[in-house]
Amino acid sequence: MTRNKDSNQQAPIDRLIEALVEDILATSDADLVNEAQADDDNGATVARRAFERASRTIALRRLAGNRRSARGRRVVGANIRALDPKTARGWLEEYMASHPDAARKVSGERSPRDRLSDEDVYGMLEALQKRGVLKERAADQGSDRR
Amino acid sequence: MHARDTGALLLTELEVKRAISALAPPGWLRLHKAARAFSRNAHFDAEDLLQEAFERALDGSRQCSRTLDIVHFLVGVMRSIASDWRKARRRRPEMSLVSPTGTLQEVVIKVRDERPAADEWLASTQEAICLRQTILDLFADDDVARRMLEGIMDGIAGEELRSLTQLSQTQFESKRRLIRRRIDKAFPQERKP
Repeated sequence: MTRNKDSNQQAPIDRLIEALVEDILATSDADLVNEAQADDDNGATVARRAFERASRTIALRRLAGNRRSARGRRVVGANIRALDPKTARGWLEEYMASHPDAARKVSGERSPRDRLSDEDVYGMLEALQKRGVLKERAADQGSDRR
Repeated sequence: MHARDTGALLLTELEVKRAISALAPPGWLRLHKAARAFSRNAHFDAEDLLQEAFERALDGSRQCSRTLDIVHFLVGVMRSIASDWRKARRRRPEMSLVSPTGTLQEVVIKVRDERPAADEWLASTQEAICLRQTILDLFADDDVARRMLEGIMDGIAGEELRSLTQLSQTQFESKRRLIRRRIDKAFPQERKP
């Protein structure tokens, strides 16, 4: 006798379980409810509770994941004035390059490259921040950009 | 088929959550009964199996086709998890921390041999054989049910199984239900077939 026979002995039980599950899936809703009432079966409550726990677990897992990904990043607006002028100007130019329409609303007809003072650049970045359109940036981005 | 086309055929995670949330009581009952069936003769609880299946469906690690009924989908997920857990339990080395003097520096990790010991193997084999006999004995008064059970456990299915029992389709389904109900009543707890 070999140890492979161990799983062979389990196989008939597995086949029976499959047949039972097949029957569960084929049973009508009304019959299932009648069975539950007859057996005083609270399975529906147990299943719903498991689902609620799973939902909470997934929500917490996602929250933890978001926190982890937020680590090492900073929201631009929180310390916009702490940026050195060159970095701030680079960020603004980058934004305007990728969002020409939105940038036009903030800057009017001016070209940031040639005419804006440092104060203008900071002011525009803050304006973009207030509009909620300035994305988070990684902490290591910026200072060595140009 | 392009990835985008494949995506359109699958429910999003939000849609899966909505579909499960909208289940009527029979749907929940069906899921729990299936979980109980899978967790019988195993070393995990039906509720844990259900929760794990829900988690995998909600986090998108298992994806549901739009054409598939959500209960059938979740039953499939449970079947797969139950199979994995059984295999993992068979493979898992058990570790124990041994510290003869109680100091951290002298802790020794003992990893148990992954192969089942001869006595464990014999015990599980004997358990399966006994279980099979116990189940058959439940139907000592019903030759047709017994024949049907033997056929199922021998791997006969579908029309061949029905022919073996010489029952009409309706009678066959009734008999299969009787078998399930009797086993449910005989083994109301988990870890039984």
